[in-house]
Amino acid sequence: MNFVDWTFIGSGAKVTLELLFGGLSIGVPLSIILVILKRKNLGTWLINPYISIIRGTPLILQLSLIYFASPGILGIKFTVLEAGIIAFALNNSAYMAEILRAGVDSVPKGQFEAAETLKISTFYTWKDIILPQVLANILPAFTNEIITLLKETALIATIGGADIMRKSQMLAAEQFTYFAPLCIAGFLYYILAVLVEFLAKKLEKKIHHA
Amino acid sequence: MLSIKNISKSFAGNVVLKDISMEIVPESIVGIAGPSGGGKSTLLRCIQGLNTVDSGQILCDSKIGFMFQDFQLFPHMTVWQNILYAAKLEKNKSIYELEELAHGLLKKLDIESLVERYPGNLSGGQKQRVALARSLMLQPDLLLCDEPTSGLDIATMGEVVDLLKSVCSKQTAMIIASHDLDFLTRIADRIFLIKNGQIIAHMVVKDLKDPIGYLRTLYGKS
Repeated sequence: MNFVDWTFIGSGAKVTLELLFGGLSIGVPLSIILVILKRKNLGTWLINPYISIIRGTPLILQLSLIYFASPGILGIKFTVLEAGIIAFALNNSAYMAEILRAGVDSVPKGQFEAAETLKISTFYTWKDIILPQVLANILPAFTNEIITLLKETALIATIGGADIMRKSQMLAAEQFTYFAPLCIAGFLYYILAVLVEFLAKKLEKKIHHA
Repeated sequence: MLSIKNISKSFAGNVVLKDISMEIVPESIVGIAGPSGGGKSTLLRCIQGLNTVDSGQILCDSKIGFMFQDFQLFPHMTVWQNILYAAKLEKNKSIYELEELAHGLLKKLDIESLVERYPGNLSGGQKQRVALARSLMLQPDLLLCDEPTSGLDIATMGEVVDLLKSVCSKQTAMIIASHDLDFLTRIADRIFLIKNGQIIAHMVVKDLKDPIGYLRTLYGKS
C-alpha cells in the first residue's frame, strides 16, 4: 500500500472548521433574531415560509444556488468559502430557530411572571432568567445540530472547497487508492464530532443541577 | 395604600371577578377566602398587574411583593442567587447592605444552611421560605400571597402563620388568598369571602366568636 499523506487531508480541516464556525456564528444569532421576531409577531409572513423552505429543500441545492446562481441573479460572485458560510448559516438558522422556539416554550410562563413581579427588566429577564433555562433544555438538540452541520460542511466539496472531504478525494484520485484517504477523512470528522460532544457534555454538567 | 374600586374581569366570556371593591390599610393582614376557581388568584394577579382589569380601578401607592402558589423560584440559581438577584438589579443599596439584609432574612426564616442549594433540592416548605425571602428583599409595603399553604402539611402551616405574622409586624401589609379557612382565621385581621367572582361577605375576624363556622355556613350558600 502506498504511503498516504494524512497531513494533506488534515490541512482541509481548516476549511471545514471555518465553515462550521462561520455558519454557526452567523446562523445562531440569526436564529435568535428570528425567534424574537416570531414571538413579537413581526414578519411571521416571511419568517415561517423562510424556515419551511430552508428545511424543505436539500442543502446541496441551497449551496449550489448561492454559489452558481447568485452571479446571474444578484450580480455577486461569492468565493467558495463565502458561499459555503452563507448557505450553512441560513440552513443552520432555520433549524436552530425551531430548536430555540421549542426551548423557550418549555420555560413555564410563571418564570416570566416571577421576573415581572420582582421588577426585573425585559433584558435581564431574558439574559439571566429565561435563556439559561432555555440553553439547559435545548443543549442536546443544539449539540446534535452542530454535529450535523459539521458533517454537512463536506458538501462544500461539490463546489470545489478544499475541505477534509475534498482533500481526501484529491489524494485518492492521485494515488488510485480510496480506502486509506477516506478512512483518514472519516476519522478526522469523527474526532471533531467527539470533541463537540465532549464540550457539550461539559457544558451540560455545568448548567444542570439536580 | 391600596384601593380597589369596582373591578371586573372576564376571560373569554367567563366572568371571573364582578364589581369587587376593597380598601387595604398599612400593617393589616387581609384574607381572601373562597372556593377554588372563585377568582381569588385573579384578584391578586390584577392587583400585581399580571392581569389587566376590564373595568374599575386599582389605586396603589405602595411597593408590591408577590408570592406564587408554586413559588416560581429560578431553578438554575442557588438559593442565595435567587434571593439577591432582583435586589442587586435595583441598585438603590450597596452590595454590603443587601447581603446584610439577606443574612437577616435567612436567619429569621431559618434557611441559612440552604444558601448553596438549588431549588430542585428543597422541600415545599423550604421553597416557600426562599420565595418569601426573595419577595422581602425588595422590601415591599404590601405582600400578596397566593395559596401559601397549598402543598404544605399542617405543622408547616403553623410555621407559615408565624413566619408571615413576624414579617407583617414590620410595616408590611398582606393580602393572602387561600381556601384554607383554618389558616386564614389564624392569620388574617379581616377576611373577604369571594365566590363566583363576587364578594359575598366581609368580616373582622376578632369580632366573631366562631369565624370558621361562620365562613363555613356562608360557603354553602350562593
